[in-house]
Amino acid sequence: MSWHRIRVVIRRHAYVLWRAPHRWFDIGFWPLMDIILWGSLGTYVARNTTGAHASTPYLIAGIMMFHILFQSQIAVGTGFLEETWSRNLLNVLTTPVTEFEYLAGTATFGLAKVAFALLTLSVTAFGFFRFDLGSIGWSIIPIALILTIVGWSAGIANIGIVLRFGQGAEILIWGSNFILMAFSGVFNPVDALPGALQPIARVLPSTHAFTALRTVLNGNPLPIGEIVAGVIGALVMLVACFSFTAWMLHVFRRRGFVTRFS
Amino acid sequence: MEEHAGDVLVAHELRKTFKKVEAVRGISITVAPGERVGLLGPNGAGKTTTLLMLLGAILPDTGTVTIVGHRLPRHRSKAMERVGFAAGYLPLPDRLKVREALGVFAGWYGVRNEKAAVAAALERFEITHLADRLCNALSSGQRTLVGIVKATLHNPALLVLDEPTASLDPDVALRVRQGLLQFCSSTGAALLITSHDMREVEMLTERVIFLANGQVVANDTAAAIAATYGYDDLEGVFMQLADEARRT
Repeated sequence: MSWHRIRVVIRRHAYVLWRAPHRWFDIGFWPLMDIILWGSLGTYVARNTTGAHASTPYLIAGIMMFHILFQSQIAVGTGFLEETWSRNLLNVLTTPVTEFEYLAGTATFGLAKVAFALLTLSVTAFGFFRFDLGSIGWSIIPIALILTIVGWSAGIANIGIVLRFGQGAEILIWGSNFILMAFSGVFNPVDALPGALQPIARVLPSTHAFTALRTVLNGNPLPIGEIVAGVIGALVMLVACFSFTAWMLHVFRRRGFVTRFS
Repeated sequence: MEEHAGDVLVAHELRKTFKKVEAVRGISITVAPGERVGLLGPNGAGKTTTLLMLLGAILPDTGTVTIVGHRLPRHRSKAMERVGFAAGYLPLPDRLKVREALGVFAGWYGVRNEKAAVAAALERFEITHLADRLCNALSSGQRTLVGIVKATLHNPALLVLDEPTASLDPDVALRVRQGLLQFCSSTGAALLITSHDMREVEMLTERVIFLANGQVVANDTAAAIAATYGYDDLEGVFMQLADEARRT
């Protein structure tokens, strides 16, 4: 593994972000809109429903933490897609960059995007709704760690699907976020989901992260059991998704799919 | 096909079938250090599939590829440090300036002084004026030139070029050929090139491998192959093989 090549992958994607103003929507505009949407909804519910005063922090903290997963996922997913959009994939495949180095570079670049997005979210949440992300305390670190790994895993799996099924499958990169949002209990406990869907939610590591988040917001200590389950689940998911994509890359090379992208 | 210790490329009995179509049927290729080899054949002969297998982008069904002693696919990364690849049909990364894109590739190839390598490579092909242009704003000819510069950034032991001058004006194509010859003679790089321009192949290469229907049908100097088929140059050989391929 070459750290130098990983740094160059990061630089390559930094150039793209710098020259593509519409990509700034991901880390500036959408976070702002999400805070306005969910913060306003929480405020409205709190005004009109007795006993629902805590809904705004739940919704805002939920969407803020979901953005960690979202940014991590799309940084990896669109990092790879950038090579397919500019038909640069064959150029990359004929350099010494390994699959792991490329993914490590895009995942690390994703951390920078997460930091920018969290800055936008924190400032707007505090400015509009007086919600302070710092009120969660150090508990935010293990929760964010789980969500980052889940985001990377989803992004890596999406790459595998695009390698296998072509660019038409890239819609999954965007769609998988909604699946994870719906099933992870971002704003609500798992038992609020329809009964038949709850088993799916319970196996997702992100569900444990959001359960831990709500526990902390309720003023309770960080539930270590949820964090341990979440970290283990996230690591298993990462290994599974990486293995899946490595296999899809093998299929991609065996069937000569590179010509689809060049 | 005769192999020698130290060959930069040794491909042995490559076979590839896509669904029921046998694209490559037992092709063996060797390239010696500093040797310039042309890979020719009519459309559908298996040239691009063969090249992509040599580069590790497509896995052969059977057969082996070894580049500068590194066997693919296990040691692909090490092997690619010694290979430069460019194709006339390949674009460059969008939204990067030429200087930036070349710097990225230089970094991936392991070049430590990226700026100096990029400047020298641009100078070699006389396109320093393109350095600050966006890659997606280049004409197809300029893009091809930058692609060739990209392939030479790290002084590769083997330069693989697929139809490199297909979209270039004759004067620019001539400049590229001269630049490639100068690059190969000054660095000792071997060259494996595909082209539909027979005069280009005769000018650039010392040996020609003709493919037809996924097999090697001739492997010798351009003059010897032309003489074997009873022609004065490669053009006639190409036309005959293309005609035969169409009829089979």
